[in-house]
Amino acid sequence: MKLLTKTSLNYLSVTLFVFMFGTIAFYYLLRNQVNQNINIELEKRKSSIINQLLSAHSSVVTPPNQNEKVVISLLNEMNAPKLNFYDTVFYEPSQRKYVPFRQLGFVADFNHTQYYIQIYKSLEETDNLIVRIFLIMTILVFLIIIALLITVRHTSLKAWNVFYDTIDKINKYDINSHDAFALKQSEVKEFEELNTVLSAMTDRIKHDYSNMKEYTENASHELQTPLAIINMKLELLLQSRNLDDKQLKALVEAYEATNRLSKLNKTLLLLAKIENRQFPESGIINPVSIIQSQLDSFEDMIDAKHIKASVVFEEEISLNMNPYLAEILFANLIKNGIRHNIQGGELVIKTGNKTITVSNSGNELKADTVSIFERFHKNSASPESLGLGLAIVKKICDIYKFNVNYFYENNLHHFSIDFGKGI
Amino acid sequence: MKLLIIEDEKSLNDAIVEYLSEDGHVCEAVYTYTDAIEKIEMYNYDSIVVDINLPDGSGLDIIKRVKKSGKSMGIVIISARNSLENKIEGLETGADNYLTKPFHLAELNAHLKSILRRISFNGSEQIVFNELKLLPGEHSVFVHDTEVNLTRKEYELLVFFISNKNKVITKSGLAEHLWGDYMDMADSYDFIYTHIKNLRNKLLKEGCADYIKTVYGVGYKFEISESN
Repeated sequence: MKLLTKTSLNYLSVTLFVFMFGTIAFYYLLRNQVNQNINIELEKRKSSIINQLLSAHSSVVTPPNQNEKVVISLLNEMNAPKLNFYDTVFYEPSQRKYVPFRQLGFVADFNHTQYYIQIYKSLEETDNLIVRIFLIMTILVFLIIIALLITVRHTSLKAWNVFYDTIDKINKYDINSHDAFALKQSEVKEFEELNTVLSAMTDRIKHDYSNMKEYTENASHELQTPLAIINMKLELLLQSRNLDDKQLKALVEAYEATNRLSKLNKTLLLLAKIENRQFPESGIINPVSIIQSQLDSFEDMIDAKHIKASVVFEEEISLNMNPYLAEILFANLIKNGIRHNIQGGELVIKTGNKTITVSNSGNELKADTVSIFERFHKNSASPESLGLGLAIVKKICDIYKFNVNYFYENNLHHFSIDFGKGI
Repeated sequence: MKLLIIEDEKSLNDAIVEYLSEDGHVCEAVYTYTDAIEKIEMYNYDSIVVDINLPDGSGLDIIKRVKKSGKSMGIVIISARNSLENKIEGLETGADNYLTKPFHLAELNAHLKSILRRISFNGSEQIVFNELKLLPGEHSVFVHDTEVNLTRKEYELLVFFISNKNKVITKSGLAEHLWGDYMDMADSYDFIYTHIKNLRNKLLKEGCADYIKTVYGVGYKFEISESN
């Protein structure tokens, strides 16, 4: 749930709660106030009636107005006269309905006879007034709540916009892109602070990252030169005519190890470069022709193992990717399919349904297949391999968002690349 | 062949000079951009071997200078940078070849020989070697004027051997020459053995002397004894 929705809901529920109880309290307060006023009027009336009665010596009193009734009766008629103020209703024949009245009952001593006098005052008009005031107030408060809600939401939305923009930019942030990481200005101090901190952080990361890249490139560069020196000096030494077999053997072993080291260094550098997305340029490539030419260059290996290589192109596929990486991708897949093949095995390369599958014969892997794409994951059957081929395949697929999968079926290892949207 | 080796790393430069001199080339070594420019202005060379990263300048600028001067020289770049862009940039500047360090000295030698042949014979030359005759333009090989049918790899092997006569050539050097980076060395040694066996048999059958010697555990040598 969005923070704004949450605060709005909280605000609404609290205000509705307060509003409900507030209106009930308001109604009773109003009612109470009105009753007090009426009570005062009734008291005034009471004293005027008593005065009139005392002065007039008659049972006739000032005729009551429409809203008023006065009933005078002998006290003994009533067993328990209701004294003081209370509310009652009368049936009003003219209006054909019950009308609320406020009543004051009191006992007056007059000519030695006790009379029970009741003064009634209609509450109809005041009730109407209360209802009207109440309605107006309710509508007013309700409107204020809505207006407040709208204003708060509107200003918050505007403020949060900057935040969502920031989130969106972080989400799309690409450390390799050379665009500046420009965030929207915000009037809200907190968001402005967040943006400042974020900008400083990305600047720092970018700086460290470019340092790292430089470091990898430099480290490999610096390594290649001493490696080249060792390599060449050993090659020169091998040309000497007066070496005995033992010396020669030691030399060759050192020479081979240096070769292996420099190959490893090159491959790790390649992996780092792919990871760092340092192959930005891309073009439309046709995997079929790359596969054909790779099969040609691995001809010796295929012949040596008597592998039956077959290619099934069911669908023309063209990919938009870096041509050099495409070549490395398919070369590694094919090499893997040949290297881990068995004598007289099969190598099937199949295209179709936006997928290229390279399958080769071989025994089922005993180890778990999850780590098959990890660096230096080696099959004990081929100790001479570096264990980086499939890691490179995975890395290349990752940066182009291709889906690469391994599965074992019908005595064949299958490596399939689903190009998905990459086509 | 007269060569100028421009490489700031002294021991590398020495190794290159030593290997190429043994093969009969006249080599001069310089270690800086300034010295290289001076030599190029003053003398003529058949080929130059140039490193891109020099302490006081870029090897690419030396190549541009050579191209501007109109002198016809073979140019081989040797660099530790192995990205495709670097290679393309180097070749577009006018270099004939781009070798990534570390490389095999035999490979450099083969490249220089092939450049020399291209410059001096315009590609229509022949390599005559005792009873052997190679026509690089047509990729054909003759022994005592009888054509021998060689596969592409066997032919490449033979040219590589002839370019590096009397040198021990390691198996990994051969593997890299034939298959480039993709082949892992250990895989390829058996194939090298097969290709060389076939090549040797084909040549022997036509009466060619057995020049290809096996140097046990190391590699091979295309040996021409002094008496030959």
